[in-house]
Amino acid sequence: MTIATLFQLILNGLAMGVIYSLPALGISLIWNASGLFNFAQGDLLTLGGYLMLSIFGALKIPYIPAFVTVIVIMGLLGYILSQIYFYPMLEQGVNPQIILIGTIALSVFIRNLILVIWGSTPQTYANPFGSKVMQIGKLYLMPHVIGIVIIVTLLLIFLQYFLRGTMIGTAMRAVAQNQTASWLMGIRNDRMIALTFLLSTAIAAVSGILISPIIPLTPSMGGIIAVKAMSAVVIGGLGSFTGALVGGIVVGVAETIFATLVDPAYRDVFTFVVLVIFLLFRPGGIFRAQISEKV
Amino acid sequence: MAKLIELLRKHALLVIGIILLIAPHITSQYEFYVLQRGVQNAIHVVGLLILTGYGGMLSMGSAALLAVGAYAYGILLVKFGLSPWLGMILATALTTIIGAGLAFPSFKLSGPFLVITTIGFGEIVRILLLNLEPITGGAYGLSGFAKLFPNLQWVYYFMVITLMFVIIGTERIGRSRLGLALKAIRQDEVVAESMGIDVRRAKLVAFSLSAMLAGLSGIFLANLTGYMSPDSFTSAESTTYLLMVVMGGMQSVIGTVISAIILTGLPEVLRFLSSSRLLVYSLILLVYLRLNWVKSDNAFLKFLKSITKRFGMYTSSTEPGNRS
Repeated sequence: MTIATLFQLILNGLAMGVIYSLPALGISLIWNASGLFNFAQGDLLTLGGYLMLSIFGALKIPYIPAFVTVIVIMGLLGYILSQIYFYPMLEQGVNPQIILIGTIALSVFIRNLILVIWGSTPQTYANPFGSKVMQIGKLYLMPHVIGIVIIVTLLLIFLQYFLRGTMIGTAMRAVAQNQTASWLMGIRNDRMIALTFLLSTAIAAVSGILISPIIPLTPSMGGIIAVKAMSAVVIGGLGSFTGALVGGIVVGVAETIFATLVDPAYRDVFTFVVLVIFLLFRPGGIFRAQISEKV
Repeated sequence: MAKLIELLRKHALLVIGIILLIAPHITSQYEFYVLQRGVQNAIHVVGLLILTGYGGMLSMGSAALLAVGAYAYGILLVKFGLSPWLGMILATALTTIIGAGLAFPSFKLSGPFLVITTIGFGEIVRILLLNLEPITGGAYGLSGFAKLFPNLQWVYYFMVITLMFVIIGTERIGRSRLGLALKAIRQDEVVAESMGIDVRRAKLVAFSLSAMLAGLSGIFLANLTGYMSPDSFTSAESTTYLLMVVMGGMQSVIGTVISAIILTGLPEVLRFLSSSRLLVYSLILLVYLRLNWVKSDNAFLKFLKSITKRFGMYTSSTEPGNRS
């Protein structure tokens, strides 16, 4: 194995990793804002991918307008979900376990909705980045790998600016820190939590759109990606922006290298074993998050 | 009418037992098969009730434990040539041990982290079953093992008797020291521990009991179908089992048994929905959760809620301390 192949593996893993990072980021954002762990994140991602399939693949709308349309639709969906479903439950102080079951039910619902609407056969659309292999020195790269990394980097810069640099972002972070205090400061908690849902659903949709050139769309794809995203969240540290990003990349790169060097059949087992080891011995993740319950 | 319902509720166990014993004589062969699956699921789901309903620990890996039971039984019989009864005992023991092992992460982790661990466990088991082809038969599945009884009717009666014992046992556990300890842990683990409850021991026992019932149920599943493949033990199945517990009211054993049998039979009634049965399930669950746990002044929502109440679904909000 040469350095070039290793480098190539890392780059491919990176593309997969940032795709895991985005739903992981969504999970972290929602966890911070509302203490709710969203198990439906993976299926919202799949839904985004399928919407893209319909809008870009079937209706032949150009890539960028289609991209924006899907993100807007998914964002609105997240906002509505929060306003009519999750926020009322959070507001009433419903047992977190029940809300957890709610998100699991939502995930099953979305998965089967996709199954009913689009069918169970794996589908894909023309690769918008082109399918000509690029050669840089000794590296052979698919153009979508570079495209994905660039789009995600831009998205992360935008997100960082939005959360740190704007008034709404600051308000959202305030709600995440202390709901009562931010309420007293005149911030509408319900809207901010709904906005967080909007944001996290929209970035999950971005990931769902970008994933299509790498793996074909199937209704149950969200399940496995959700578990990878959760692994990323746990490995990186729940609630941390950097943690979700780094966790996703670590998972993506590690499993790509494992699949090539050892055995592709046990790729997922490898990820889960790493996950369980982290959960048992370092549940706070790399960027130690506070997960033990406060007494 | 109200009195009749009261009477039925009081003697629910007896009523269910009689219905289950009569049922084989009045159903067609296919309906009978569905009923058998219902009873088999009920045994499994009651185990999940101990864990999730009493102990408040959500498990998304229950289908994997079912798989462990079924595969252990099949492998012991096919590869080692054991007798069915010995195989059944060993398979149940193995599942119980593996289930007890799952309890260890639960000492440290709670809520979503525990759920992720159980999802991970479920996926690991499924992938191992798919890839350890020489032992498990891989994607082709495993078949050709002997059954507990030569006649499927006898298996059914054996299952019903087991289910009756399980129901009585679980209800007694619910009222016993262990059950009360588990319920205390669900409501507040720290308080429970400071009250002198051995949290670890209670969790360990809950996981083992639930795994034991899952193993038993898996063995019955192997007996009923005579064939198993990794596809029958996906995480979607785990979700269905969790759903059965929730729809049964999270607390009531009888409710869980009824919801398990009904939800197993529902797809057969809803034939025209074919691929979308889980769609309907999850939608019902979503609406049910939202209505049951959120107070609302909306007249329409109140009307819907009164319907769910009439069907006798247990509302946990009546129990003090369930709202955190």
